[in-house]
Amino acid sequence: MIVVNYLAAGGLFCIGLYVVLTHRNLIKMVMGLSVMEASTYLLLISMAYRRGSTAPVFVGPPAGRTASSLSHGGVADPVIQNFCLTAIVIGVAATAVFLTVVVRIAQHYRSLDADDVRGMRG
Amino acid sequence: MTDAALGSLEPLPIVIPVVGAVLAPVAARVSRRLPLVISVLAMAASAGVLAILCHRVYTGHLVVHYLGHVGPVDGHALGIALAADPFGLTYALLAAALGTLLVLFSLSSMRELGSHELGGYACLYQLLLAGLIGSALTADLFDLFVWFEVSALASYGLTGFFLARPFAVEAAFKILVLTTIAGFGIFIGTGLIYDTHGALNLGQIHVALGSGAHSADLVALALLVAGFATKAGIVPFHGWLPDAHTAAPGPVSALFSGLMVNLGVVAIVRLTLQVYGSAGRPVLGLVTVLGAVSAVMGAVLALAQDDLKRLLAYDTVSQMGVLLVGFANRSASGVGGATYHLINHALFKALLFLCAGSIVHATGKEKLSEMGGLARARPVTTAAFLVGAAAIAGIPPLNGYASVGLIHDALLHDEPAAYSALLVAQVVTIAALARAAYLAFFRPRASDYDDLERLHPGMLTAFLALCGGCVAFGAMPGLVIRNVVAPATAWITTSGAYASGVLARRGTLAPADVHFDYWSATELLTVVGTVAAGLLLAWWYTRHEEPRLVTGLRALHNGSVNDYTSYAAFGFVVAAGVVLIGHP
Repeated sequence: MIVVNYLAAGGLFCIGLYVVLTHRNLIKMVMGLSVMEASTYLLLISMAYRRGSTAPVFVGPPAGRTASSLSHGGVADPVIQNFCLTAIVIGVAATAVFLTVVVRIAQHYRSLDADDVRGMRG
Repeated sequence: MTDAALGSLEPLPIVIPVVGAVLAPVAARVSRRLPLVISVLAMAASAGVLAILCHRVYTGHLVVHYLGHVGPVDGHALGIALAADPFGLTYALLAAALGTLLVLFSLSSMRELGSHELGGYACLYQLLLAGLIGSALTADLFDLFVWFEVSALASYGLTGFFLARPFAVEAAFKILVLTTIAGFGIFIGTGLIYDTHGALNLGQIHVALGSGAHSADLVALALLVAGFATKAGIVPFHGWLPDAHTAAPGPVSALFSGLMVNLGVVAIVRLTLQVYGSAGRPVLGLVTVLGAVSAVMGAVLALAQDDLKRLLAYDTVSQMGVLLVGFANRSASGVGGATYHLINHALFKALLFLCAGSIVHATGKEKLSEMGGLARARPVTTAAFLVGAAAIAGIPPLNGYASVGLIHDALLHDEPAAYSALLVAQVVTIAALARAAYLAFFRPRASDYDDLERLHPGMLTAFLALCGGCVAFGAMPGLVIRNVVAPATAWITTSGAYASGVLARRGTLAPADVHFDYWSATELLTVVGTVAAGLLLAWWYTRHEEPRLVTGLRALHNGSVNDYTSYAAFGFVVAAGVVLIGHP
């Protein structure tokens, strides 16, 4: 049931956002953002779903299907899947930068509490 | 050259800086000078290729190129489209040309860097510029997201690049959190549009939307607008902007403020006006309100700052708001004025940030209260700062006069509320800059500075070039409006022209009717009035305690990344909610 996926994506997004808004530990904030990110992937992959469809691979189709029947629908939307793959790659890069910055903050401030890392204000 | 040949050049302005970005760190192992040479050459080459497109595009033609020649079939486009319309090309050209100047300035003035760092810095700088040029030229929604992320990743690196100051990593964390959330908004918005219409090509989306948009389309647009507004530093998504600008060195702030934040505005204009067109009407009201609030709040916060670069950063928030209000007006005069102001803002804000950076670099002081008497110690920097401030104030013959005048003309009759908000913002902006100029340059200082470093020739070149730009774009408004602004305005305001041009791979439009009366009494009186009121306000503000309203506003900016995120999340929810409720 695909509605479950949408609900799960929405729920995960809210959990992630809740963590980012309420937790001051920087590592936990990064984790919250990662959960939010994962929820967007789940949402988009669920959008790509079509009832009774199979993977968008045209070489060696599963039993009972031909390449031409696949190309006339009956496959999950490959564009959205590509979309997600690109976003995952970008997300990995962003998480790497995130963690680098957190390490640097820990070295400079000797703390991971967001409340200690607010020298600039006003 | 034929349009096809011109079109096949379009990937080059993006590819060349990316190649330069890859080569620069490698070359840094050979020689310290090589990354500088490579980046300047790459950016200049990119600007050169864009300049080849100029003649054709500014005579009103759309130059379209589908990568790998996978063009649209029966109105369905699978290939990635690049399309140069006068508006996008103006921004791309600005990014490449100003980028060349800033690379030259920053790499020649950062002599204390090691070769390894110099290579990394050159790499990030070019990646960021490639992202900006890519988003200006692309006609594909997903591609826009990718270029947004490329420039975002590069901007994280540049913000946290100078780790000698702990503030740099703090700012990097804030820009990371807020821009990542902006990325979610753009990603989900793009996904929603694709899910509803099966289209990513901007032209195809316009056709699929037709004249009316469903609520899902409007929510998608609201998410996209909120996401790009984060990039543009619009209130309430602006938490990262002042910190990132304060922590980064002068040339990086100049790049962020002059070019990078504009990416958000350009994308919002492209989506709301060129892609959604009449279907996006309900969102334009939201854009106007966001813009007006940013314009006033940014200016008020700028007036209250003691840190020079932070003051300029809040002024960027204000100016981006002015741009949005101008574009959302949809009239030829409003859109034309905002396009003009986008160019002008890049010039004078880059100039002001370079001045601020050079002062901080030379004196080691960042706070206005610790400066003073710099007019005698640094006459050239003082003159450059005053040119920039006068350009923002719109004093003729500098460039702010015509562009702000055009925006005011557009609002005067249709939108009195937005007009008065912009007038207030203008007065407060002038007051903020006048106060900064007084405190830093003209206020007598008890003790002399310790030995001040001399002005580098590179800095002098950049000051001269940017001051020259401010004067040139201000003294010849007729020329700029006729050749650049009017064609760009036509492509933005003519509904569906951009979209059908992208799908048909060609398009021609006559320039829009943008007219500015340089010597009109209303314009001149507005300038005299706002400048006088601004100077009075500055005089009053330096002699009184901070008003309670300003203290309250500043207390909201408490530096907590959790709070900044909640403001942004609130903005996202309100944007989507307003659009849903406002939609019948």
